[in-house]
Amino acid sequence: MDIGFSEQDLQFQEEIRAGLNGAEYPAHVKEKQEKGTALTKQDLIDFHKFLYSKGWMGYNWPEEYGGTGWSPVQIYLFLNELAAAQCPTILPFGLNMVGPVIYTFGTQEQKDRFLPDILEFNTWWCQGYSEPGSGSDLASLKTKAVLEGDHYIVNGSKTWTTLAQNADWIFCLVRTETTQKKQEGISFLLIDMNSPGIEVKPIITIDGDHEVNSVFFTDVKVPADQLIGEEGKGWTYAKFLLAHERFGIAGVPVVKVQIDKLKKLTADYNDADLNKKIAELEIDLEALEFTELRTLAAIAEGGHPGAESSILKIRGTEIQQRLTELYVEAAGQYILPYEGPEGFDSNRTPSGPEYASPSVAQYLNYRKTSIYGGSNEIQKNIIAKAILGV
Amino acid sequence: MNLNYSDEQNMLREQVLKFCETNYDFIDREKILETEAGYSQDNWKQFAELGWLAVPFKEENGGFNFGPIELTVLFEEFGKALVVEPYLSSVVMSGTILENSNHSNKSSIIEKIIAGEHQISVAYAEPNIGYNFFDCLTSLSTGGDKLLLNGTKSLVLNGGNADQFIVLANQDGSSVLILVDFDVDGLSVQSFKTIDGQTCAELSFENVSIDSESILASGDEAEAIFNKMINVSILCISAEAVGAMNASYMKTVQYTKEREQFSQPISNFQVLQHRMVDMFIETELTKSLLIKATLQLDSNDPEAGNTISALKVQVGKAGRLVGQHAVQLHGGMGVSNEMSIGHYLKRFTAIDSMFGNTQHHINKYQAK
Repeated sequence: MDIGFSEQDLQFQEEIRAGLNGAEYPAHVKEKQEKGTALTKQDLIDFHKFLYSKGWMGYNWPEEYGGTGWSPVQIYLFLNELAAAQCPTILPFGLNMVGPVIYTFGTQEQKDRFLPDILEFNTWWCQGYSEPGSGSDLASLKTKAVLEGDHYIVNGSKTWTTLAQNADWIFCLVRTETTQKKQEGISFLLIDMNSPGIEVKPIITIDGDHEVNSVFFTDVKVPADQLIGEEGKGWTYAKFLLAHERFGIAGVPVVKVQIDKLKKLTADYNDADLNKKIAELEIDLEALEFTELRTLAAIAEGGHPGAESSILKIRGTEIQQRLTELYVEAAGQYILPYEGPEGFDSNRTPSGPEYASPSVAQYLNYRKTSIYGGSNEIQKNIIAKAILGV
Repeated sequence: MNLNYSDEQNMLREQVLKFCETNYDFIDREKILETEAGYSQDNWKQFAELGWLAVPFKEENGGFNFGPIELTVLFEEFGKALVVEPYLSSVVMSGTILENSNHSNKSSIIEKIIAGEHQISVAYAEPNIGYNFFDCLTSLSTGGDKLLLNGTKSLVLNGGNADQFIVLANQDGSSVLILVDFDVDGLSVQSFKTIDGQTCAELSFENVSIDSESILASGDEAEAIFNKMINVSILCISAEAVGAMNASYMKTVQYTKEREQFSQPISNFQVLQHRMVDMFIETELTKSLLIKATLQLDSNDPEAGNTISALKVQVGKAGRLVGQHAVQLHGGMGVSNEMSIGHYLKRFTAIDSMFGNTQHHINKYQAK
């Protein structure tokens, strides 16, 4: 056993760090990130375009599809450096979700058509999985696609669609056949968000923000060549997608940075109880981080992260949520004034620490983490079945 | 980065596993607990023959020159079977101190330990000093032309069986580690059973005459050696806890598959499944910190001390959760002394109390 990273890996880490501190990094994004100001659609596009310009956008893609071909250790170090530099989170919908599905199951024509735009961030993707009646029981989904000539006609609705308001494309699970077994008869369809018959309605979450949406489909015409793989095999592709990129889901490097920030913000509070809770959170984070490294070491040797990676999702989101609770606890009664998504008017800010209002918004927003991506209860079902055999 | 055990380490694990399967089922263990010594001398001989007692010692002292990784391999397997033989006190604790001391005769003493012929226990705890072991009242003072040892030491692991003791004492405000024979004049030894089926002793020193040769280390050196011993010991009992957690959740899964209520195995119930998943998760997270601490200690990383504290906190919390859930899911059988499952809870409780409990190590970690 050997805990260290190789010389080459450390040199790689230096290169990433230098790149993120370099002149090409979009300054307006950096400034907003440091202040904690909300990023616009254009800010996020600029950030992803920067990654592309450095050749880092396909950080977890194989070289033959324009990716970096980095080793798992390099990917790990890369994501750590992004977090340490307080970069925005890389949007997963194109890069980590639909991209790998297309390069694994798509036709050559589909690869040529979609992959370069994903890497260059010319297209913004969103995910059409959940429906009003299909959450944890995703396979019960009802959005229907009927083949008529060389088009599918899609009717139904998707929900909790993150940033659909910005999206150019949506990848959808649709029902192409009603079968005895609900997992069969599901297909994987790519749909242009500008198609007639699509309507996006905002859902405002409890923090007051507009992050998720309902997406309605009324007789939407989708060219049949936008079907991925075989009709009726969509569930297989969906499962592949879920299993494909568990890595980084624990959010360890981001939490680390946030804990350091909280310690600085509260350094002169002399609150023994708060300090003790922070220490306990740090200990739990250390345990999680090394669990992630164990998973990484297994992948680096060509193994597959099994259901063990569900630990990363469960504990990672628990820790993220506890961190938001500590921020709220630290801010005390000053969490009360509500700034809303637009922020306070700069001439009329309430008293209390500046971090107070964003903290409570984050606390409320982060309740989502134990619900999305397969709720933590579903993750426990997976471990129970796959590892404990019950 | 490489997190695989070597072939040699895997072989050691296999060997211990096999030994425990053959010689250490719950009934064997119950019989051992009833003996006067509280452990099996036959097993101890076998440990010596298998070379296990040589594991952490340097080659120049007749050892295998293995490190923390091999120790954690041994202890994980010990933990699964709840082994009570005094490996921690006789090999790890006294061995670490002896080997790092300047005692002129240490090689021959270590050889006897390795041969299974000699046992030494470390006397560090005292009634009123909590986990601040250097604040001890036991003192070494000059009386005429002699050095005299006075005071009381408590919770001396395996003390009733020890041939010698290493005593942490205070000499003019600085720490000393002293080697004392069990049968010297002025020393009385009283042995007790512990809650988890092991033994410990209370030592009382009354004007025990000490010759200067017996001082193993003093001052900063003594404290550095002692702290090193504590760190290795925490690592070992943490590995033992990981083994015990592993056994606890596996036995619980097995039990719930066999136990039927409401006309079905109780493992069908989701609320029980999720509790068992929690046990599994805590076990794996503890194992992660164990590996991290082991590798840091192995490479003399300056961060090792903090990670050891983090590990001890995790062991304390996870041990409580896993132990309690295991008892709960076994229902009434869980609180029966005739089932092994409750004995794991006892061991977790004992382990948390040793070398600084959860609260102590949270404070220590926080002060880093």
